[in-house]
Amino acid sequence: MPQEQRGRTRPLTIIAQDPSVKARDGSILRASVEVTVEELGPGPWGHRVQVIDSDASTGALYEPLTLPRPAHAISTVADDPFSAASDTELLSNPKFHAQNVYAIIMRTLRRFEHALGRRVSWSFRGHQLKVAPHAFADPNAFYSEKDQALLFGYFPSSTVEGDTVFTCLSHDVVAHETTHALLDGLRTRYTDPSSPDQAAFHEGFADVVALLAVFSLRGVVEVGLDEAGGRKGGGTQSASEAGPSTVERAHLTTDMLLKSVLFGVGEQMGRELSTIRGDSLRRSAMLTPSADILKRPEFIEPHRRGEVFVAAIMRTFAETWAARLESLGDRKSRRVDRERAAEEGAIIADYMLTMVIRALDYMPPVHMEFGDFLSAVLTADVETRPDDERYQFRQHLRESFKAFGVSPASPVREPEAGLWEPVDATDFLYDRTHFDAMQRDPDEVFRFIWENREQLRLCDAAYSRVLSVRPCLRLNPDGFALRETVVEFIQRLDVAADELSGFNVFPPLDMPPPTRVSLYGGGTLIFDDYGRLKYAVHNRLLSAERQTRRLAHLWKFGAFEQGAAFRRQFSSLHRARATGEISVHERW
Amino acid sequence: METPEKSVRHADDKVQVPERETPTGLPLDGEPSSRDKVKSSVGRGKRVTPEASENATDVASSIMPADENARPPARTEAVRKRSRGNARPPESLTIRSYQVGFGDCFLLTFAYASSGDRHVLIDFGSTGLPKHSDRATHMHRVADDIVRRVGSEQLAVVATHRHRDHISGFATAADRKGTGDKIRACKPRVVVQPWTEDPDLPRNSKGPRGDTSGPRVRGFIAALNSMHTVAGAALAEAKRLEGRAPFGLVRQLAFLGQNNLENLSAVNNLMTMGVDQRYVHFGSESGLERFLPGVTTHVLGPPTLRQSDEISTQRQRDPDEFWHLQARAQTFALNASGSGTPESRDTDGMSSSEELFPDAARLASEPPPYARWFVPRIRALRAEQMLEIVRALDDVLNNTSVILLFEIAGRKFLFPGDAQLENWQYALSKPEVRDLLRDVDFYKVGHHGSLNATPKSLWNLFEKRSQADSAPDRLRTAVSTLSGRHGEEDRGTEVPRQKLVTALRDSSHFTTTQSIAATDLFREFTYELD
Repeated sequence: MPQEQRGRTRPLTIIAQDPSVKARDGSILRASVEVTVEELGPGPWGHRVQVIDSDASTGALYEPLTLPRPAHAISTVADDPFSAASDTELLSNPKFHAQNVYAIIMRTLRRFEHALGRRVSWSFRGHQLKVAPHAFADPNAFYSEKDQALLFGYFPSSTVEGDTVFTCLSHDVVAHETTHALLDGLRTRYTDPSSPDQAAFHEGFADVVALLAVFSLRGVVEVGLDEAGGRKGGGTQSASEAGPSTVERAHLTTDMLLKSVLFGVGEQMGRELSTIRGDSLRRSAMLTPSADILKRPEFIEPHRRGEVFVAAIMRTFAETWAARLESLGDRKSRRVDRERAAEEGAIIADYMLTMVIRALDYMPPVHMEFGDFLSAVLTADVETRPDDERYQFRQHLRESFKAFGVSPASPVREPEAGLWEPVDATDFLYDRTHFDAMQRDPDEVFRFIWENREQLRLCDAAYSRVLSVRPCLRLNPDGFALRETVVEFIQRLDVAADELSGFNVFPPLDMPPPTRVSLYGGGTLIFDDYGRLKYAVHNRLLSAERQTRRLAHLWKFGAFEQGAAFRRQFSSLHRARATGEISVHERW
Repeated sequence: METPEKSVRHADDKVQVPERETPTGLPLDGEPSSRDKVKSSVGRGKRVTPEASENATDVASSIMPADENARPPARTEAVRKRSRGNARPPESLTIRSYQVGFGDCFLLTFAYASSGDRHVLIDFGSTGLPKHSDRATHMHRVADDIVRRVGSEQLAVVATHRHRDHISGFATAADRKGTGDKIRACKPRVVVQPWTEDPDLPRNSKGPRGDTSGPRVRGFIAALNSMHTVAGAALAEAKRLEGRAPFGLVRQLAFLGQNNLENLSAVNNLMTMGVDQRYVHFGSESGLERFLPGVTTHVLGPPTLRQSDEISTQRQRDPDEFWHLQARAQTFALNASGSGTPESRDTDGMSSSEELFPDAARLASEPPPYARWFVPRIRALRAEQMLEIVRALDDVLNNTSVILLFEIAGRKFLFPGDAQLENWQYALSKPEVRDLLRDVDFYKVGHHGSLNATPKSLWNLFEKRSQADSAPDRLRTAVSTLSGRHGEEDRGTEVPRQKLVTALRDSSHFTTTQSIAATDLFREFTYELD
């Protein structure tokens, strides 16, 4: 195939949020998203995603979608089979559903790859994620690692007789599940039993990525602005048939954005889907900040705790956006151009999406807490985009998390509060390892870690292993490139409960002495362009206070019980979210 | 005080009271105990199971007079005062645990000196009989035995919750010769069921007494009904998946699906056979006050929705909605796949023969090569999902179980049905209830000995637990179960849960229906009361 004929991206129609979010003319709000061009097989079946439309409930296997190869280097809507399709066709043609999941998953994957500056793998061995857009009749959708698949259920609507709700047509649901598949690959240990924060993070982070991805589509933000205007009777401006073209400034404060724009979109989203996505947008928009919220017993429960994380991020989004809108246009005018306001919102959501994904590389590989995320997101951002004058994302992040009682894990104050402290590169031994191999060879990196185990404050007695070595090239908005190599290592120590005090870790009083306990520690090492260590984000195995706290928590919630591992699958997680199931330490 | 069958004063001349053969002349729980058995065992000598012999000495010591003195008289006074009508309490209580395989069936006979015996049948159901039993006749033998024992005396029925393994025996037959017809013919004076079974609830906007959260109650009742639809669909799906998904999964799915089907004839029979129909909740009257003079019957569960709200950490979502969605989704799937049974169709307003995408092109049933890895996996996954859902609904129904605590002259007998922690939680949150439970003498092990129906915080309350076989007044525990039916050992979910059985065995006189000899119908325990 002649290379010059191949463009880089092609536009594909997707449903912007879900079929219940409507454009001003009452039709389903759509978006045309740019998806990387690739040589697709029937499915679509690309290098990272294979759609197989098999329904286990009915036994049906639908004919796959074959997307035409773009005819020209610059691909146009002519290459999108559904660019002119009617709403009815979008809902009733399973081939469109296949396109919708394919495009959203690829778009989400590309967001991760763009933010991290490298290829990002799924969490399983294998390159192609299987996707069943109509997997079963069940109000559920989830990622199954063992099946290397995303599975989307469908169910009859309870509000409109005869309608079917397709989870595969909800942008946020598809992005949420894709994020599980990616996060699980990037931070394998985050599904381990650890702190309440870590249990909450997987769901919270998947929600955050999904919501920011949705709000990075301008059309969705416009719907939100219309909701806000309509609700507050802001449309005094003679509204044309298409609605007002400006929005009142009074509606654009942080609180108003949260309570009307975000909440408004949340209201529009298919309510029936709340059983699987848990209404995170509406709930997080309404969550009143409070410094002690995470200490309240009801917020120990992972889903509720995850909502606090979502709320802190969405509040940052609203604050940044409100501040930006304040300085927009003629300040004396009481109104702001609607499209412009929406565009700013979409830009902010889009950049924040990059920020939160980038944070992952600066997070410890085990036992994360929200404070670790905050330090990581701040540090990763400083590294690629030191100048934060225009949007002041970092300041808004700090303030918003603080309002929910989360402070950065790093005590550093200068040059900016909460950044990870850089290591003193000169403390480390480099002369026994080779720069070139250090960028890709786990054994070489392990040698570096071993030689420097004292400086890195490792636990001598533990088993240690390098999990990953990932060279990356990150681009900042100005085109400035940052080369880094990210290394994850973990340590593990298996001891009996009565040996723990030898490590200054204290097991819960009622834990039987012979109970086998595994302690984990681990770190993320960031090397610069020259192979020198820049950051070592390390949750030490022998961090006595953290481990004692962790054991107490796990013991209380039954992680040491037989069968506990079976209760941690994503499918059950989502169902627990729907049924409000409680897990308690009263079983045999 | 436990004495042998001499306490059985039922005048049935066909019955022989066995002679004591143990030196102490004391009862053995492993003894042949059914009347049939007694008859047939004459001249054969007694077989004593190892379990029973372990307990023999202990039973002996537990009736020592010294023990009698040890009981605080003040307590007895208090109990008497609380008893209704100040009537004379029964002189003895005999508890018969029938062999029903995986199920529950307990007949309690309260012997009154003046007014004859009063019988309380707690549950009568099974979802799996032991291999040796005759499927066609076994439940009839149990029913006949119950009927014979009740004779012309008075019967009350307690149906703890609507699971098949607790109420299938109450099902009636078209020829009026069903086991449920036989029980009905005894004309039960009182039928006690959980508040969730009250047929007036869905129509009446009020909840159970004192609970006015009408719409929520209606929602909950509707959700319980949706669960039967889900169970039915699961069963149909299990049939369809047979041979296409792992055997173990499909078998469990069928088992749980079966148990959660609506037992229409049993439910109707229970709803109408009592002179007095009682629907109870935590703290309500049991309805047995007049039926059992001198006995205080505490209702410790199920809590009403309002009561559960008091203790649960704010329920954040509406689980009822989930069950409706689930029911609709599965009915839909059955109809679309053409495997819907006539009963499963047309429920929840679904029209039959729906197709998801009537116009879409489909591939032949044999998946193309590129899908052959995936398609079987998604089927297995589906079976796992269904199993998980059916397990969850099984839990919800278990938690509607009536929990009864009979208190007679300072002795306490606890029958919690299949109540799991969520049901127990409300009762256990009350200090006065915890106090009440400390000196329980007899515990019917919850939910056939599953991992989550004997909350540890309940078990730890029992002060009459003792490692010592010979301890006076040692706690007695009885489980009605059949292993290998429910749960998996490698997941720690087997029923009965071995870890629990070990604890029961170590700290109480433990008996299980699994050790009832093939020729026996039940095992009994008699407590002499003053």
